[in-house]
Amino acid sequence: MSLFFQSVVLGVLLGGLYALLAAGLTLYFGVMRVVMIAHSAFLILSAYLAWWFTTETGLDPLLSLVVTVPLFFVAGVLMQRLLISRLRPATLTMMSVLLTFSVALVIEGMLGFVFSGTQRRIRLPYSGDSLELFGANIAVVKLIAFGLAAVSLGALFLILKKTQFGQALRATIQHPDAARLIGINTDRIAGYGFGLGLATAAIGGTALALDSTIYPSLHWHWIGPLMAIIVVGGLGSIPGAAIAAMLLGLGQSLLQIPLGTTWAQTIFYLALFATLMVRPQGFFGGRLAQRF
Amino acid sequence: MRNASDPTSDSTSDPTSDSTSDPTSDPTVRTDAGSRGRAVLLAKGIGLLVLAAAVLSFPSLAPDAFILSVGVVIMSYAVLATSWNFVGGFTGYISLGHAAYSGLGAYATALLVIHTSLNPWVAMLLGGLLVAALAVPIGIASLRVRGASFVIVSIAMVLILLLVFQSWGEVTGGSNGLRVPRPFDESVLRPEQHERFFYLHVALLAVALLTWWAIDRSRFGTGLKAIREDEDKAQSLGVPTFNYKLVAFIVSAFFTALGGGMYALWFGFLDPIFQFSILVGSYMVLMSLLGGIRSLFGPLLGAVIVGYAVEFFKNQYGDTQFHLVAMGLLLGIVVLFMPDGIIPALSSLINRFSPQAASIREVSAGELAEQRRAAASEGKDLDATEAEPTDSLPEGAKR
Amino acid sequence: MTESAGSTATDTRIGLATEGLTKRYGGVTAVDGASVQFHHGKVNALIGPNGSGKTTFFNCVTGMIKPDSGRATYLGDDITGKASHRIARAGIGRSFQLCRIFPRMTVMENMLVAVRSTSLRHVLAPSRSAGELDRARELLARVGIDHLENSEARDISYGQQKLLELAGVLMADPETIMLDEPAGGVNPALIDRIASLVRDLNAEGKTFLIVEHNMELVMSLSDHVVVFDRGRQICEGPPSVVQNDPRVLEAYLGI
Repeated sequence: MSLFFQSVVLGVLLGGLYALLAAGLTLYFGVMRVVMIAHSAFLILSAYLAWWFTTETGLDPLLSLVVTVPLFFVAGVLMQRLLISRLRPATLTMMSVLLTFSVALVIEGMLGFVFSGTQRRIRLPYSGDSLELFGANIAVVKLIAFGLAAVSLGALFLILKKTQFGQALRATIQHPDAARLIGINTDRIAGYGFGLGLATAAIGGTALALDSTIYPSLHWHWIGPLMAIIVVGGLGSIPGAAIAAMLLGLGQSLLQIPLGTTWAQTIFYLALFATLMVRPQGFFGGRLAQRF
Repeated sequence: MRNASDPTSDSTSDPTSDSTSDPTSDPTVRTDAGSRGRAVLLAKGIGLLVLAAAVLSFPSLAPDAFILSVGVVIMSYAVLATSWNFVGGFTGYISLGHAAYSGLGAYATALLVIHTSLNPWVAMLLGGLLVAALAVPIGIASLRVRGASFVIVSIAMVLILLLVFQSWGEVTGGSNGLRVPRPFDESVLRPEQHERFFYLHVALLAVALLTWWAIDRSRFGTGLKAIREDEDKAQSLGVPTFNYKLVAFIVSAFFTALGGGMYALWFGFLDPIFQFSILVGSYMVLMSLLGGIRSLFGPLLGAVIVGYAVEFFKNQYGDTQFHLVAMGLLLGIVVLFMPDGIIPALSSLINRFSPQAASIREVSAGELAEQRRAAASEGKDLDATEAEPTDSLPEGAKR
Repeated sequence: MTESAGSTATDTRIGLATEGLTKRYGGVTAVDGASVQFHHGKVNALIGPNGSGKTTFFNCVTGMIKPDSGRATYLGDDITGKASHRIARAGIGRSFQLCRIFPRMTVMENMLVAVRSTSLRHVLAPSRSAGELDRARELLARVGIDHLENSEARDISYGQQKLLELAGVLMADPETIMLDEPAGGVNPALIDRIASLVRDLNAEGKTFLIVEHNMELVMSLSDHVVVFDRGRQICEGPPSVVQNDPRVLEAYLGI
């Protein structure tokens, strides 16, 4: 029973990170109909930067966020303005996939080039610590990672809900033509949307670096599940993505007990196919997307 | 000529075209165009013969077994890229995960050869058919919605198959790999093996190209190309878009699987990490795109260039991370600056130097049309000046 | 039916019709329980102020989007929510607002897209058969752009693209042709040509359903006019009657 409970807690913690990252992917798709393959490559890049920062300075990897978040935001804006916006609207979805895919390859290759293919892991004084929670044994780093993800997701939600920029962004997602008509500069909004998306990757990467072993090709293990999440949640819906992330994260964690880690991952792909077969617009998109 | 005799068109005030400046309405130019058409046909025939001769004489010209094996690899890439182009080129749906189908074809062939006493070539064909059957549900799931889901499923397929084939060790050999029995016995020496497989790949390529060509000129092909240009519009003209896409996808998966199966028989060893590799899938995309996805021989040309470059770099520098970077940069450059590929770029270059060239006026008219559409899609009303003959358009285009 | 410019009968047969057709986008109801009847064999016009839901109505009827509720029928057969290629093969062809052609195909290739049969033999046959090419050339000549046969569609002028779109629709040999703003963005000479094409085709038995803002054209061309406001029909009848209906003025002036 405690094993089950432990799995539930771990699933929720993992789901939180998935939710944050899937929110980023949803932003790109929402503002520009772009399937951003390089999202998880930036995630790993940020994890490497956190690791490098800690090994060089000996400071806590969380401090690297001060640099990586603004850096990634700017990188996102530049990527949208300099690369994505050059593509013809008619073929945008397909060509943006290739373009972001090529960015992912370059990042993976450069990581291998600079840091080599060796597996890396951050050693922290509190790496081995864990908390007892109703009989479940939870590593402190996982809790920190979850906290980071939850706080960021909350902040993202507030930005979208409460600020004028957030309103413009939501309008751009829901109806770009109408948004343009009421005077929203959708190009600039799309750039900032991209920036925000990449900022989630910066935060997610740091959270990931806290308790995972990282290597350059790790991003392929993340992009598949994340893609599945945003389809199940309904492309373009952030709450949908968050719910799907939680459910699938939980499912993965629970399935690890009977099936082992490798087979448990297949839940994402099964959910992806089931969704496309039964409800191609996604499960949580429709109603929630309008409210958000 | 037809224009003049047509009662519905008023030859003095044709509102759509400035008939005096239009070269194609001049009868003498028409007959010129006819003879030019024959010349083009002849040039194409000769080109085809030269190409066939060059490809077929390669094994006898290759200086050593290594170069010959590179030739086999390039032909294998050419088969895969051409197969990819059934869906990528016709419908414009980009699949990054076609390695899933080549890998499945390879494993299906290998497992059939190992576990049944089937003739290896029958096994390969059967493997192709099995993969084609599997492509049906995958296609149904991923093609119902436009664009994004297709890409996502294509990537997911490779990742899921990599997982499954690595974990399911008792059947697939897992990460230790799978040894595939050779179709020719040991008395056939290495170079001889390569030579035979080179010709076998060429034969498979020829079948794939022929099929592509047949579809290209059929009504089915016209419908597929219309889907690539504007899917809603095609459907409104009665094209059953979903069925068309599905069939193209299945044909593509079938040929890709045959390509994978033949590679398995040649190479004799399969490892999931190389079979179900995103990188292999992206090679197919890069090759097709670089050569030109709208041309019959585009993927072949791309395969020769990229395949040679890849093998050259591997030989010179080994398997380093650097070739990921190079691959990424090259793909990015192609997508940004020459999404139509080399063949269209070359043919427009040739057109520019031939006397009947599509003049600069026509090119700029095309660009103007593009700008007008962009302006129109921003929700602005079009004013009446827009339908003026193209020569007088620059004013309207300045907006 | 009081006035009839139709060449054959004077009786009114209902072709395309809807009952309570509704389409909502979020909080906005674009088509609000529209019940409309169009006369078969005639030139019908659908008019209304901007944003009155005409194009959405068009898209619902032709299967481009699924209506939330209500029914659409064609000659008595239910066509609600059918895929657009099925509706096309039931005999309804359509053009698009702002003109949609296949920009990177030649004018001739554009003509060969239309599908009239899904039998395997038809589908796998070469698209450039002599019969098809002749038919296509005939229609291109009819709209007056046959000299552009080998040009890429993106290279011809906007007016020529509009004619190409119409000719391409005619290739499918539809009984009913729906035109979304055929006179939008084209010069007066071309409007005249389009109008005379519509008249001729109607005389040959084609039904037309036209969404248009050019009132002069609508009034001179159509036999039957339906007026839309806020997603539903507010008035219908022959042009002379509709023109003088106070409800129409109200809708246009927004009083």
